[in-house]
Amino acid sequence: MSDRFERLGWKNKAFDTLNGLFLLALMLTMIIPFINVLALSFSSGIASMRPEIVLWPKQFSMEGYEIVWKSLDIWRPLLNSVIVTVVGTVLHVLLSSLAGYVFIYPRLPGKRVMLTFVLITMMVPQEAIMIPLYVVNKDLHLINTLSALVLSGLVSGFSILLMRSFFLNVPYEMSESAKIDGAGEFRIFLTMYLRLAAAGLATVTLFEFVGRWNMFTAPVMFINDSMKYTLQVALKAMIIDTSSNSGTYMVTTNVRMAGIVISILPLIAVYPFVQKYFMKGILLGASKE
Amino acid sequence: MGLLKKYGALYLMMVPVIAYFIVFAYYPLVKGLQTSFQDYKLMGDRPYVGFANYDAVLHDSLFWEAMVNTLVIGGGILLFSFIAPLVIALSLNEVLRTWFKKMAQMILYVPHLLSWVVVGGIWIFMLSPDSGIVNMILVHVFHRAPINFLADSGYARWIMILLSTWKEMGYTCILFLAGIVSINPSLYEAARMDGATRWQQLTYVTLPQLSNTMKVVFLLNTLGILRIFDQVFILRNPTIASKVDVLMMYTFQKGILEIKLGPAAAASFFVLVLTLALTLVVRRMTRFDEV
Repeated sequence: MSDRFERLGWKNKAFDTLNGLFLLALMLTMIIPFINVLALSFSSGIASMRPEIVLWPKQFSMEGYEIVWKSLDIWRPLLNSVIVTVVGTVLHVLLSSLAGYVFIYPRLPGKRVMLTFVLITMMVPQEAIMIPLYVVNKDLHLINTLSALVLSGLVSGFSILLMRSFFLNVPYEMSESAKIDGAGEFRIFLTMYLRLAAAGLATVTLFEFVGRWNMFTAPVMFINDSMKYTLQVALKAMIIDTSSNSGTYMVTTNVRMAGIVISILPLIAVYPFVQKYFMKGILLGASKE
Repeated sequence: MGLLKKYGALYLMMVPVIAYFIVFAYYPLVKGLQTSFQDYKLMGDRPYVGFANYDAVLHDSLFWEAMVNTLVIGGGILLFSFIAPLVIALSLNEVLRTWFKKMAQMILYVPHLLSWVVVGGIWIFMLSPDSGIVNMILVHVFHRAPINFLADSGYARWIMILLSTWKEMGYTCILFLAGIVSINPSLYEAARMDGATRWQQLTYVTLPQLSNTMKVVFLLNTLGILRIFDQVFILRNPTIASKVDVLMMYTFQKGILEIKLGPAAAASFFVLVLTLALTLVVRRMTRFDEV
């Protein structure tokens, strides 16, 4: 890399400047909307409705957050989302790891069949079986229950393969010697593989956490009781359905923006710490498909 | 019996996964195919009606409207979501300061983390005619009349394409960057020895070396275009519905809202078959299997 610094002709400098400006402009399209949302969420109701570009709160107030919390009862969908996300993610990671572990055994009879069985599920887009899935959930009396949301995507071929590729990095000889010492499969899985593939666990957990937090199609399909709404569905009703032609009640802009801020807070909070896992996961995931 | 004793624990570990896939993947698939041939009612008899559902769907002008929208919007997303991240990755690669590169990558990735409800909510507001920033700029800087972007059928498809590109470009960019990083540095050294400029290094080394990554990205994006749903569901409104309602939206409307499960299942199977066909075509075109 060092010799790239040596080429200091004016053309290069001009290019570097333009290139930097281009990237900066792109970043601004990401940053400005968020600053705008944040500033409006801390503005007073009246100020937030005034047509002007707001990058700093006008008439600073917490009113938006108070209304979202108290009058709109956002805590209930928030709680539902937390339950579905936490329970769903834990189960998803556990089941995917179990299957991923099974697939590292080179001479397991029936492995090819089971692998094909998993791969086929990856070729069928979830959306294409939306209607029969609805019927299955209905037959199992899962409509309007949070269980339907936990069960939706409880395990995925993608996560299984991702875990498998992390497990494959654990030296196979170690598990063989553990077996000679008398350890059973479950024990080897729990005490050796899950620990040594912690990076894999983190990756899959985060992917699933973000995916479940943002889950929208499943709650829209399976839930129509507003007490069981998840945050995303409640948010849609609050920020989108009232924005264009509001009929029933008036929600000021600062309230809607407060809703957005609350919903992205958990994601933004974990993001800086977990960025490296995301990168790894994305790359492994892409090479798998 | 020896097998079970030796591998029993492993098979036991697979049981929940296999059970899940049977109930929530394979059974719905079979059930969907069956439903598509039935006059499906929630209660009572469900007589088989042959291809009547398929016939009904194929003669439904809304279906064809959805098909056109899917192909136009999906095709647009396919194109833009391929080119934009590629350009950004190449541009990032030319940045010499590591901190700037890292920061840019981190910021560009953020929208991918957010749900379509949030992204849609933010942009509906940003694009709104009376208080959105975009129209503020149009009015105050360019002295133009404000445009109601999301209620204008002329802009509707473009908005879908551009917002999807905006949301996902940071994500795809990471794939391209990883491809660039794995290019053998000696190729660049050799190119520089021969006096290649930065532009020549780009066109003669980086781009050709990146072709495999490009194929992967293109294939992944192709698989996605028939599945567009959340985005449209959130950004649509009655004014622009006929320009943006895609196939999944059609299925949702038929199946969940109108409870016409037969035709909805038939429409889903068109989507399924189309996805498989598209995948095969793209695989063949990019000769993916030879990679």
